Amino acid sequence: MEPMEAFVPAEPRTFEQLMLPHLDAAYNLARWLLRDPHDAEDAVQDACLRAHRAFDRFRGSDGRAWLLAIVRNTCFSVLRKKRREPGEVVFEDDLHGSTEDPAEANALAWREIKGDLLRQALERIPAEYREVIVLHEIEGMAYREIASVADIPIGTVMSRLSRGRRKLQTELLTLTGKASP
Amino acid sequence: MKCEDVRPLLGAHADHELDLIREVELEAHLQTCSDCAQRAQALAACRQALRDSLPRFAAPAPLRQKILSSVRADVRPVAPFASGKRPSWSWGNLGGIAASLAAALILGYGWGNRHARTDSLWNEAIADHVRSLQAGHLMDVVSTDQHTVKPWFIGKLDFSPPVADLADVGFPLAGGRLERLDGQTAAALVFHRRLHSINLFIWPAAQSPVPPAHAGIDGYHGETWSEGGLNFLAVSEIPAPELDQFIRDYRSRTK
Repeated sequence: MEPMEAFVPAEPRTFEQLMLPHLDAAYNLARWLLRDPHDAEDAVQDACLRAHRAFDRFRGSDGRAWLLAIVRNTCFSVLRKKRREPGEVVFEDDLHGSTEDPAEANALAWREIKGDLLRQALERIPAEYREVIVLHEIEGMAYREIASVADIPIGTVMSRLSRGRRKLQTELLTLTGKASP
Repeated sequence: MKCEDVRPLLGAHADHELDLIREVELEAHLQTCSDCAQRAQALAACRQALRDSLPRFAAPAPLRQKILSSVRADVRPVAPFASGKRPSWSWGNLGGIAASLAAALILGYGWGNRHARTDSLWNEAIADHVRSLQAGHLMDVVSTDQHTVKPWFIGKLDFSPPVADLADVGFPLAGGRLERLDGQTAAALVFHRRLHSINLFIWPAAQSPVPPAHAGIDGYHGETWSEGGLNFLAVSEIPAPELDQFIRDYRSRTK
């Protein structure tokens, strides 16, 4: 027989209480990853339903990271379906030896960059890099939290952020008509 | 620290993710190396620009509503059975109702009059069932004889609950008692299944027959149906297929 405690929850921590406060974070991530408001809505709804069905497996205290992990996985499977070229995703994390952060290498006056341009540039870089930048700079997540959302090692978070910033710089230079460094 | 050691750490430095020892060493280097210091400043400016200009998109209100409804109408799957086989769910045609019942039970929500009755019905039934499992609370009339159980209800209820013993098919009648359910006095028949119990609640349908529905919540299964002017609700911790079997047997015996 099932334990009777099942019917007497010590503290009523419902899905709605624990997950819905993070709906903005979920939508923001989906919106950035998919770059389309409707796709983002669909993905978040799908992800929330998945999260709801898996809610009894939620043990942690960090509801945001847990929900965002499901959202990002949903978004990446949408992206994989959309990608024409199979196997286009090349993770550069382990391909290059250098972990030097080149965003500093510079030519680029960050203070003068217009917000709109920065936004366009971010939309142009690969989703794997966009993801870490969004989680880090918009959600204010630490490496450790990002690692848990994206299910990658902390070192990979660090290198993706560095490469993401480099890619961002390249896109900015392209958008402003300057040659790549 | 040399420049070549510092460069790969500038990102983590800008992100405030460097461990204390290396942070101190790196700061010392930046004091003496203008090239690295400049790079560090550029990175900080990059971060600042990103934080200042990137919008955080807020979830549209209709999406929030859509998610609330779909989550509330969704049924949380129960834990797999010991056999490792999941029950075959038959939410089917009335899935929405069953789903909202289960969701209500899980989430503790009552939303609107239409659902209120069925929400509390499930809550009551399962609470009754659980209480009945506690020693001494199972039955008011303890008998495996349907001819003892059935007359016991006479005078206590204004209807006559169909009673059948299903011992020969593995569901021996154990007794009965009175319960309050759905705002009325209901007959509760207790059947055994190995070491488990099934509570079958029966009460007059009157103007409000319950819709046929299944629910699986926290390892308990329930089924409602209405027949011959009476409402029925069976609840047990036995696997759903066995409960289905019980209900088929009971219904065929009491026809």
